[in-house]
Amino acid sequence: MSLPVLLVAGLFLPLFPFSMLFNVLYARVRHPVLRGVLLLVWPQIGLAIILMSSASIPPWLPVWALLTSLLYALRALALRELGLWTSFIATSAWALVWIVLSSGASMTQLQWVGLGISAPLLLMAFLVAGLEHRFGAAYLDLYGGLAQTIPRYTTVLVIVILAIIASPLFPTFFAMLSIIIKVFPVRPSMAIGVGVVWLLWSWAGARVLQGLIIGPGHRDVVDLKQASLWLYLLLLAGLIVSGVYGLGGML
Amino acid sequence: MSVALGQQLKIRSMIYVAAEPVPYFWPMRSFIHHNPLHGLEDMSFSEALDKGAKLFHGQAYLPRTVYQRYLRDGKIERQHLRQEVERFLEQHTGAVSTGMPDRLMNLLTQMESPVMLPTALASDADIQSALQGRPLDARNTSATAVEDSIRERLRQNLLGGRPIYEAVDSMYGTDISSSLDELVIKSCLDFFDEGQSVWRMPNREQGFFAAWRQVAKRNIRLFLRGLHINDILAVDETPEGVIDYVMTTLQIPQESWVDYFTQELARLHGWAGFIRWRATAKHYHWTQRFPGDLVDYMAIRLTLALALLSECSRRRVACTAESINELIATRTHEAYLRYELYSGAVVPSFAHRIETALLRGRDTLIKQTFTDYLQHKRQQEAQQQSEHLHRWLSQCDAGADLAQLPAQDFASTMALLREFERQEGMCWLRAMETHAMQALLHGVNLMTVETREKRPFAQALFCIDTRSERIRRQLEGIGDYQTFGIAGFFGVPVSFMELGKGSETHLCPVLLTPKNVVLEMSMNGEQKPAALGVLEKGLHALKESVLTPFVTVEAIGLLFGFDMVGKTLAPRVYNHWRHGLHPQKPVTRLLLDKLTREQADSIVRAVQRAVIVKALEQELGQATEKLNDELIRDLREAAMGHDCQYRQHARELDVSEAQLDDFIQRLREGYRINAAFAQIQLEQLGRIGFTLDEQVRFVSQALKSIGLTKGFSRFVLLVGHGSSSENNPYESALDCGACGGNHGLVSARVLAQMANKADVRKRLNEKGFQIPEDTWFVSALHNTTTDEISVSDLDLLPSSHLVYLDRLRKGLTAASRLCAQERLPSLQLVRGNTETPEAAFRMTQRNSLDWSQVRPEWGLSGNAYFIIGNRTLTRQMKLNGRAFLHSYDYRLDSKRQLLENILTGPLVVGQWINMEHYFSAVDNERFGSGSKVYHNVAGRFGVMTGNLSDLRTGLPSQTVHEQGQPYHQPLRLITVIEAPFEHARRAVESVVSVKYLVRNGWIRLMVMDPESQTVFVYDDGDWSEQACTGAVSTESPKERMSS
Repeated sequence: MSLPVLLVAGLFLPLFPFSMLFNVLYARVRHPVLRGVLLLVWPQIGLAIILMSSASIPPWLPVWALLTSLLYALRALALRELGLWTSFIATSAWALVWIVLSSGASMTQLQWVGLGISAPLLLMAFLVAGLEHRFGAAYLDLYGGLAQTIPRYTTVLVIVILAIIASPLFPTFFAMLSIIIKVFPVRPSMAIGVGVVWLLWSWAGARVLQGLIIGPGHRDVVDLKQASLWLYLLLLAGLIVSGVYGLGGML
Repeated sequence: MSVALGQQLKIRSMIYVAAEPVPYFWPMRSFIHHNPLHGLEDMSFSEALDKGAKLFHGQAYLPRTVYQRYLRDGKIERQHLRQEVERFLEQHTGAVSTGMPDRLMNLLTQMESPVMLPTALASDADIQSALQGRPLDARNTSATAVEDSIRERLRQNLLGGRPIYEAVDSMYGTDISSSLDELVIKSCLDFFDEGQSVWRMPNREQGFFAAWRQVAKRNIRLFLRGLHINDILAVDETPEGVIDYVMTTLQIPQESWVDYFTQELARLHGWAGFIRWRATAKHYHWTQRFPGDLVDYMAIRLTLALALLSECSRRRVACTAESINELIATRTHEAYLRYELYSGAVVPSFAHRIETALLRGRDTLIKQTFTDYLQHKRQQEAQQQSEHLHRWLSQCDAGADLAQLPAQDFASTMALLREFERQEGMCWLRAMETHAMQALLHGVNLMTVETREKRPFAQALFCIDTRSERIRRQLEGIGDYQTFGIAGFFGVPVSFMELGKGSETHLCPVLLTPKNVVLEMSMNGEQKPAALGVLEKGLHALKESVLTPFVTVEAIGLLFGFDMVGKTLAPRVYNHWRHGLHPQKPVTRLLLDKLTREQADSIVRAVQRAVIVKALEQELGQATEKLNDELIRDLREAAMGHDCQYRQHARELDVSEAQLDDFIQRLREGYRINAAFAQIQLEQLGRIGFTLDEQVRFVSQALKSIGLTKGFSRFVLLVGHGSSSENNPYESALDCGACGGNHGLVSARVLAQMANKADVRKRLNEKGFQIPEDTWFVSALHNTTTDEISVSDLDLLPSSHLVYLDRLRKGLTAASRLCAQERLPSLQLVRGNTETPEAAFRMTQRNSLDWSQVRPEWGLSGNAYFIIGNRTLTRQMKLNGRAFLHSYDYRLDSKRQLLENILTGPLVVGQWINMEHYFSAVDNERFGSGSKVYHNVAGRFGVMTGNLSDLRTGLPSQTVHEQGQPYHQPLRLITVIEAPFEHARRAVESVVSVKYLVRNGWIRLMVMDPESQTVFVYDDGDWSEQACTGAVSTESPKERMSS
């Protein structure tokens, strides 16, 4: 893989500092549909570029990707703005695709991994928009008490966060598991690094839940409609099914 | 550095004054109900509530929606509420437009949340513009003036007596406050532990600060956190010196120290209240062993606070009063944005922008953000306020009226609305109290004077406790029983030493300190420890060790499983079986009579002889059969320093004279057989028992105070009360408050034993009491969890009474079962069967033994009335366990002394109980103790929520709430005195504490004058007259009270 192609691919499967472009773009785009499109399409462009190029990946690149992933996972811990949090987690997760790539996975597998990572983040983009609509901002530690105030919304939020932080049965879980399983025999230190990233995501996810759903509910806010709740739950069930039979089946 | 003595004393007195608003917290073994705002009782009720709510960050009234529910349920009447609204409007004569009472009534009854929002930037003119749909006018005040007002507000919010670390948290988003609380709680748990910990803090006998100081200096965890404790502790060895240093370093002006200390203490008011009580309880065993007070506590708190702040200051954070003040003065924009962002007041849509601006730190960006934010916030406040007003006014069809008012009238209306919503809690409360007072007035019987032709079958004296009302009513209903209400310690303050216990328990209200000790003595011989008891002790030892629990769990863990299954599935049968394994408590008597000097001497001698025998066995290996009386006497005389030829016994004991001399010396020093200690023992023995005069005085006072001087029946039951429940740290909260949170049986036994004594009877009859010879005082215990009444000391009952015993027992059993049947539905037990009284009674018994039951009974929840008067006043009423009933006959109390005693003791205790329930109901998280489910016992004297929290001081939610809503209806204690008006008024005026409770509105007082058939109600400094309607009421009083 030639260096210019690599750099271009590093924009879409973000490597620091090229990753800043995606995050700036994501912060500028406010509409949830556009954000969703961005989350779905962005890594797929990167994968398409790699597909077009047939050169092998230099050994230092997965290390760079892991460091990028660690950096963004760590930064996500301190963020209070949920939109930014979503884009940082996306950046951290997509960077790991380079490691899958270096482990010799097929392009189909890679595309599934990319989609599996993006899907819960897409739902998150809509949930963030919902919070902004209700409270003026999706921001941690400002209002809280969502569990009491808008329980249906909270149910969906909790499950989506669980999906993002790669909890079992969700596609992200199988993606992370496949990375660790494949990388560990070759480069154990890299696998440990991926494990640390996973741990940081969980921590960041727990912080989000703590900053939003705990505490007394005290605002007159409209909850999700019943139909929206079912739609979200259906999509999440679809994610689980695709996780178990899609990515899970590829392990 | 050492602080001058004058400054040390000054700091001590400042902390003493600062701690006044913090209520005492007694150990939970003897739970004492108290008013959480006791320290503010010198203020009027409403003022104290405002101050208390600010100080303890709690709510002083229920939310509006709960009061609205009371209105729907008929617990508040609309007309009473309207009276309160009109009263408010009369007091605040602002620009009141026509129809304002209707609008305010609409606001109270139709709007679920307050209409007036707190506004920081939007003016009334802005709100009016928004209400009219016009854009906001440009500010006519200058930017400098706006900034000045922001500066002033920041100084007030951040430096107005608030701890510095709270200000830092609000400015920088740090978490010093909770870190500090956590460290302080851990230190308190270490020091104040009363045997829960296996590894204890060293050097505790040196005092709280000294012991903590030594540990803190070597605390690696503090060092690893970057806390430089040693630098602070090196400044001074005394707590006062450290306090002085920290306060000076933080640059707090000395005139603000008292307020500052109060704020510090209020943060963990449970711990502060416990330490405050402990420091004053000189008799408390743990105080004597490990002394500690609030000065120590403050020194520790401030040391840790300064260390945490110093750690923060390394990150360029303003950490002193001066530096924060400077930040506000020189970088107002930044300070304001910081405060908005980190105190949670920020408009959410601006949060991220502000955070970014602060992170970048560029002055121009901060200034621009500040300007935009001010404008946005002002606009948003005005808009939100106008929406709220519009929503309310559209319901009253008055939206246009208000919007079109002249600016000045609009502003005064806004001010009126703000004030009204601030005071609305008081309107609801007073309306609710008026309803409760009216309900009582409709039900009481002030007309009839009960006359008896023959004496009743039995008379029973119950505690004034609200739970006695039900059982008294049932007992009176089933037969020829007459009941009386008296404080549960029966007027006899006793320091009780239970059989097998080494410490004294005070059986009296905490307001009193008993002078007399009563010992419990066994009638049986020495008992061998039961095998099960030994096994249990062994098991505890294994559990508490460091390594053995690992093995114990593997080896005998299954046994605990059986225990758990038994307790859970069949609590009655299993507990009955388990109790059967333990030996029964032996028959005991109380040592009640004062000892003569000769008796006391004899006891001391007997004890010394027993000790010498034991010492000879242990020290010199002598067999008991070798020891004769002469030998023991000579050794004792020698040890006491008297002349005697004790050396002649050396050969007898096979020891040398030198060895015998050594032994005598050890007797004096090790075994404390010496003249000085004998004198102490004699003094202690002097506290035991009561003289005949004292006994006569206590019995006559008790009987006279309830109006019982003649017409005595064959049985006079003295019924103390207590509760029984499993796995319940709050068990003593359900016991008798008048007995210091203990069971009341001992007090009943004490009075019964006194009253049955022939000499006492003789003296009483000489004093005018007409007690027949066949009258027998019988002590009993009312178990309030099961409603069972068990009679004790029946072996002392004269044989002539045995034929009546069966009738008495059957009567008591029937009353118990009926009471259980009446009470059980309110507990809402899943498996509750109340079809028959017997089934209900069995269910209550199961309930008391169920270890998973978080609400074994409702306790004193629901208390509302304190009625001092004849039983005929309320006998026909069903008060649903809501009234303290104290019997009183003013005709026997011409000097008002008995009434004054009732007011001084029982009424004050009743008011504490009432206020404890009031505050636990209105804000259970702050003034109560939250849910029991998360409670853990701390140090064996309190409970915490989770593994680390402030000591939970009030009542748990399961005691005052039902399914998230208040079960206890929070009212001030409605006190009724049945007596001629002047008689009652003078008595109240002469008891200073009660006088101020009444004048300041902590108690609602009514005097029912039976001679003029008039009721006098005290309200807001005035007495008003009302005719008593009880006798002519057409509605059934029972129905009224039930509603």
